[in-house]
Amino acid sequence: MQTIYKAGDSFLHRLNPLSKVLATLPVLAFVALTTDPWTPLAIIGLNILVILVLGRIPLGRVLRILALLSPLMIGFLLIYPLVVRRELVQDTPLLLSLGPIQVYQGGLRFGIATALRVFCLISLSLPFSLTTDSSDFIRALVQQWNLPYRVGYSAMAAFRFVPMLQTELSLIQAAHRVRGISNKGGLRAQYDRLKRYAVPLLATAIRQAERTALAMDGRAFGAFETRTYFKRMAFTPRDAAFVLGFWLACALIVVTLAHVGLLGSLVLLQQV
Amino acid sequence: MPWVVLHMLIEIKELSIKYVGRKNPALEHLTLRFNAGETVLLLGASGCGKSTLALALNGLIPHSVGAALSGRIVVDGLDTQQATVADLAQKVGIVFQDPEAQFVTLKVEDEIVFGLENLCRPPETMRAAVDAALAAVSMPDAGEREVFKLSGGEKQRIALASLLAMEPQVLVFDEPTANLDPVGTRDVFALIAEHKARNKHTIILIEHKLDELMHLIDRVVVLDRTGQIIADGPPREVFDRHVDALRAEGVWIPQVCLLAHALRECGHQLDLFPVTLDEAAEVIGRWAPTAFHSSFAIAHRESVTCASLSRDGKGQMVIDEEQAVPFAIDVRHLSCVRSGRRVLDDVSLRVGQGEFLAIVGANGAGKTSLAQHLMDILPTPKQTVFIEGQDVRDIPSHKLIERAGYVFQNPEHQFVTNSVFDEVAYGLRVKGLLASEVEAQTNAMLDRFGLLRLARANPFTLSHGQKRRLSVATMLAMGQRTLILDEPTFGQDQRNAKALMELLRDLHREGRTVIIITHDMALVAEYAERVAVMSGGKLLFDGDVRELFARPDVLHQARLTPPPIAQLAERVPALHGALTLEEAVRHLSLVTGHLQMTSDKE
Repeated sequence: MQTIYKAGDSFLHRLNPLSKVLATLPVLAFVALTTDPWTPLAIIGLNILVILVLGRIPLGRVLRILALLSPLMIGFLLIYPLVVRRELVQDTPLLLSLGPIQVYQGGLRFGIATALRVFCLISLSLPFSLTTDSSDFIRALVQQWNLPYRVGYSAMAAFRFVPMLQTELSLIQAAHRVRGISNKGGLRAQYDRLKRYAVPLLATAIRQAERTALAMDGRAFGAFETRTYFKRMAFTPRDAAFVLGFWLACALIVVTLAHVGLLGSLVLLQQV
Repeated sequence: MPWVVLHMLIEIKELSIKYVGRKNPALEHLTLRFNAGETVLLLGASGCGKSTLALALNGLIPHSVGAALSGRIVVDGLDTQQATVADLAQKVGIVFQDPEAQFVTLKVEDEIVFGLENLCRPPETMRAAVDAALAAVSMPDAGEREVFKLSGGEKQRIALASLLAMEPQVLVFDEPTANLDPVGTRDVFALIAEHKARNKHTIILIEHKLDELMHLIDRVVVLDRTGQIIADGPPREVFDRHVDALRAEGVWIPQVCLLAHALRECGHQLDLFPVTLDEAAEVIGRWAPTAFHSSFAIAHRESVTCASLSRDGKGQMVIDEEQAVPFAIDVRHLSCVRSGRRVLDDVSLRVGQGEFLAIVGANGAGKTSLAQHLMDILPTPKQTVFIEGQDVRDIPSHKLIERAGYVFQNPEHQFVTNSVFDEVAYGLRVKGLLASEVEAQTNAMLDRFGLLRLARANPFTLSHGQKRRLSVATMLAMGQRTLILDEPTFGQDQRNAKALMELLRDLHREGRTVIIITHDMALVAEYAERVAVMSGGKLLFDGDVRELFARPDVLHQARLTPPPIAQLAERVPALHGALTLEEAVRHLSLVTGHLQMTSDKE
């Protein structure tokens, strides 16, 4: 499956996948509640630092990934000031007035804060997604968090189907184009086209799934209630250090921001 | 091997298997025994139940596949119907056709331990098992590699290694080379040879590329369409005595055996019926003296390099001063980069109208990419591909498909309607023909392709060979002058493959341009006039078929192997230059004719 993971042997790479999830989840939840721009900004900074230093991801690669996200950010920035509830922002200076469109400074600030917040949430997933082998993650889930192994391995196999189906779909589309089916037309034509893709696509998917299932069963998959594991996933002191360290760093940021009065109200406490 | 006491390992008794929802059983009352240490080749036309038998041997039928099974299969004392999947996995391992579909994990090492983990083996024993399995397939350092980055041949090695880790006694190979290029195929055969030499396994092979395999085979079992045994015995006996039955069934037969039969039909008796290339080289070499070869070496078919020269110009656009007729296809400096990889690198290729061109090369060499650019299926840069003198980018797609047809590797991909008739009529209707014309033309086309009686059937319910024929018919319905086919004989039995190729030959004789992509060098030798060899995105060779097979350097670089007869001809002077069965027979009859004459004089 096409993921942004790249193999490596940095500190982050060697961590248990679950500890990366553990470290980021509470922070994720907290950031989602913030309304100010500074908390997300600081956490983004921390994240990039973690990725660069602990994950040893080249700066260029990080920047490229962040650049991919920028259209989304800009979108928030542009749209938010226009759709924000007027009574929330009308006390702030008016920046722009174009007929019915009125942009207040407050609106722009909301836009910036929201864009940063979304950016931050995505960046929080990066330490995990850039450095975690999906099979290790599933292995850890099965071994440590008691995910039934049949489910785990089936998920792994299903993952692999996504690129296969993508390739297959583009093949079918090309094959149909050669038959003289144009890509134009209204909704009705779209629907007909999808219906035509469905049969060959399903036929291939089922055949492929059957083959994979046979290959798995042929190697005694599911023969017993449990199975053993060559690669044992476990939490090490290193994992504990990372999780606690990450939490601590985030807490420090939040406390500092609160101290200097930059931490705005949280969504839960806010009067809506 | 008379000194080996044959010990029965697998006993199949009165086995019948019927899939749920099928009218006819896949196998019926099959009784068969396999002895320990044998290497058995299982042959049969497509749909004869070979794969069904393979799945039944390790209990996947009935444990995993919904099918009704009666009778008994006992593998080394274990009844497959009563034994557990875990026990059976340690008796019989199957290497399947599609290397991709049989992998569960992403890393070689993970793949090999997968079975052991399922068997709950202690983890501390697994390191040794992985090392042993990798060593057994001669890939000792591959443990950390990603399975999807392996070559096709390597994938099959790893697939085998992951079975060997469970130490099965029986190894089944179900068309293990179907998706591989010629060198990948050779690689897999070498692997099988290594395991036969170790003498630890009973090997059951389902395969149809036979010539390079026959020296490994102790016994051949042939099933007919209903799953009944029509021949069972040592290869020599089966291919010598039962050849007519095999032919009637559409079963693949080694080329050297066909050659021996052809010679026999001409009244020549060899002192040993050859089944392997080695034997054929020896027997034929002994029988046809070397002294006479040189005068006949040149006797081969005249090759038409550019048929367009002889035909009067129909095209309007002149693109080459010396050439009145535009090329059917003209590729100029075509390059293509996909996800950072140079898929095509400055390819220039001209195909004259009425030519029969084969595009060959290793897996991933750019064959399909090139072919798809010819029809603008992959986005093609301007001024790089011309069809009949016109830039493909300037031809509206509905006009383009009237000029050239493209048959995809999987015929199912191209079906867009619910009946065979509508499939062929589709293009004609889009073109806006009258209903009566559509009907007349469609029926004529279906008749030609032997599909008329199936006109109302759903295309997805056809047999493999019928689907393929239908997909070709749909691509000719609009009177296309150029036909491009991606692996037209893939997965077909001998009879269907031959029928299809004869059809292409007829189309070619009518003056159409035919371009095929294939891994089958025997096919290239027999049908193509010209061959384009792709290697690493570059056009490595473009020229006469005969010339290609005389260029070991090109073959080596492009991971190709000469067809069996050409391999034989390299070793038998009297066959010098022969590429196909027909040529070999002609060479030999000339030699023997000459012999006859000299002996008459004496």
